[in-house]
Amino acid sequence: MKATFKLWLLALIGLTVLSALEMPVAQAHGEKALEPFIRMRTIQWYDVQWSTQKFNVDDEVSVSGKFHVAEDWPISVPKPEASFLNISTPGPVLIRTERYLNGKPWVNSVALQPGGDYEFKVVLKGRLPGRYHIHPFFNLKDAGQVMGPGAWLEIGGQASDFSNTIKTISGEAIDMESFGLSNGIFWHLFWGLLAAAWLIWWVRRPLFISRYRMLEAGLEHELVTKNDKLIAKLILVGVPVLVLVLNEMTANRHPDAIPLQAGLDQILPLPAQVNAGTVNVDTLKAEYNVAQRSMVLQVKVDNRSQSRVRIGEFSTSNVHFLNPALSLSGVMTDDDDITSQGLSIDDDKPIEPGEQRVVTLIARDAAWESEKLDGLIRDADSRIGGLLFLYDELLGQRYISSISAAVIPKFS
Amino acid sequence: MSAHIPISTFKPYRGEKTRLVRAYDYLILVLALFLFIGSFHLHFALTVGDWDFWVDWKDRQWWPLVTPLIGITFPAAVQAVLWDKFRLPLGATLCVAALLLGTWVTRVFAYHYWNYFPINMVLPATMLPGALVLDALLMLTNSLTITSIFGGAAFALLFYPTNWPIFGMFHQPVEYANSQLTVADLFGFQYIRTGMPEYLRIIERGTLRTYGQYATPLSAFCSALLCSLMYPLWWHIGKWFASTRYLTKI
Repeated sequence: MKATFKLWLLALIGLTVLSALEMPVAQAHGEKALEPFIRMRTIQWYDVQWSTQKFNVDDEVSVSGKFHVAEDWPISVPKPEASFLNISTPGPVLIRTERYLNGKPWVNSVALQPGGDYEFKVVLKGRLPGRYHIHPFFNLKDAGQVMGPGAWLEIGGQASDFSNTIKTISGEAIDMESFGLSNGIFWHLFWGLLAAAWLIWWVRRPLFISRYRMLEAGLEHELVTKNDKLIAKLILVGVPVLVLVLNEMTANRHPDAIPLQAGLDQILPLPAQVNAGTVNVDTLKAEYNVAQRSMVLQVKVDNRSQSRVRIGEFSTSNVHFLNPALSLSGVMTDDDDITSQGLSIDDDKPIEPGEQRVVTLIARDAAWESEKLDGLIRDADSRIGGLLFLYDELLGQRYISSISAAVIPKFS
Repeated sequence: MSAHIPISTFKPYRGEKTRLVRAYDYLILVLALFLFIGSFHLHFALTVGDWDFWVDWKDRQWWPLVTPLIGITFPAAVQAVLWDKFRLPLGATLCVAALLLGTWVTRVFAYHYWNYFPINMVLPATMLPGALVLDALLMLTNSLTITSIFGGAAFALLFYPTNWPIFGMFHQPVEYANSQLTVADLFGFQYIRTGMPEYLRIIERGTLRTYGQYATPLSAFCSALLCSLMYPLWWHIGKWFASTRYLTKI
């Protein structure tokens, strides 16, 4: 007895201590859990920006950006024949009011083309106040979620400030927050009361042991009375008739009702933005140095433009390795779109028009490990993918090429 | 073996015994209610799942096929116990009522208060009229065969018209983003579900096509046939659970 008491006391003290500890709130969306080769070689995001990161309930905010669908799509991942540009939120703290792909509004899923370039915009409206970590991301059918860069959004104001009214084709304005709710509750209560009446009709008399004994004694005829049978007959006829009449009344009330819509949108890619043919980049070799946490890429650059270009950035899975010599800035500061100045180039002289040059790039940063991209060398498909950004300093032009190569690990 | 009581020796309980068996009735009823709320709700959530969770999953083809087919399972099993052993024709109604209680609690507390979805987006469907007919038919016919064929069919056929007064208004067309949507589709687009991309919805997919653009009657009759088969299967599962083999004296 004493030992049990001690045990309980100890458990109680333990729980009290645990409850006093500060529990960190999980804010991630599992974006690092997906295999690196899928994150690097499916949807390649760039130029993602939020219109604002601080706004009030009922105010609109938009996220826009671009993405390239990798040509070197992993063989183990189904092709993006049904994809859905989504927003990772902790529930509908925002609502999505508009979404555009290549300037076209779209609602359903879409078939993407490997090698294609797209630009997107999603308009959202604040619904619940709070501070939330939000990503645009793609749901890829049978593959998973490929996250775009996340950002912290701060929604101020009161939840009661939110409104969401839309118009049906017949011109009726409806409040999406309450539409059909009282009607639904009414019909659930209506059938619930009938069911409750039937249950009470039986439950009010002795049930289990008494009825079991009578049944075993052959007194079955006393267990179901004439009134019971009469009510059952009324149910048997009345309920189906009532159901059909109510159904008919509803059908007459909503003659224009249509079935749920579930078509697949078809939106063609933009004219080539990546691998547009002006400056071509061919990846010759890729090595990952585990100890130095650096990716060494040997590429052949073929400058067919009219002016000199320099390599400014290598980007993969929302990690941007910038060439410090070009003084570029990260796309999204203070968020988890990681920007590193860790890109070095063995021959960083501008590449002249018409020149072909083989250069070695070293993208070195702890982000390879912290973003769990170094797991690539343990994957069944250990190929890297990413985007290389080259800049024409004279005209301010930017050229983007996709990088793709098998990765050889170097352990020392 | 069960506790057979010859009619010549049968004596109704009186006095203290009557009070005790009544208390036992209430105890079992309360336990049964929680058991069915938990088990049937879990079974339903894992099988019918999204078709019942979301307003934009309730299509005219798969929803009326899947929901009654899964929904008739527990009612059949519980009817087998309550009718066979006690001549209580309330198994189906009790089960479906318990399911709805559990469902409403979840929709309000888990979906609305915890995950912020408006309740109208996650309104559950009801199968109570079908359950009432199933109970009444079993009581009047006292036949597993007739209840399977006609009760199972009625349970399936009544499902869609029962729920149309609740969900019909969500099928009004809306012009949105240069396309035609239903109000239900718009809920799915506007109220963000991170783990529920649109393509996961199973809306009129597969080889169960429409006939002259009538999809629901085909699905309902297909479901009626399957429910007629599902009913006796689960009746026998219920009977297997409700053994009185060890009850020799009562």
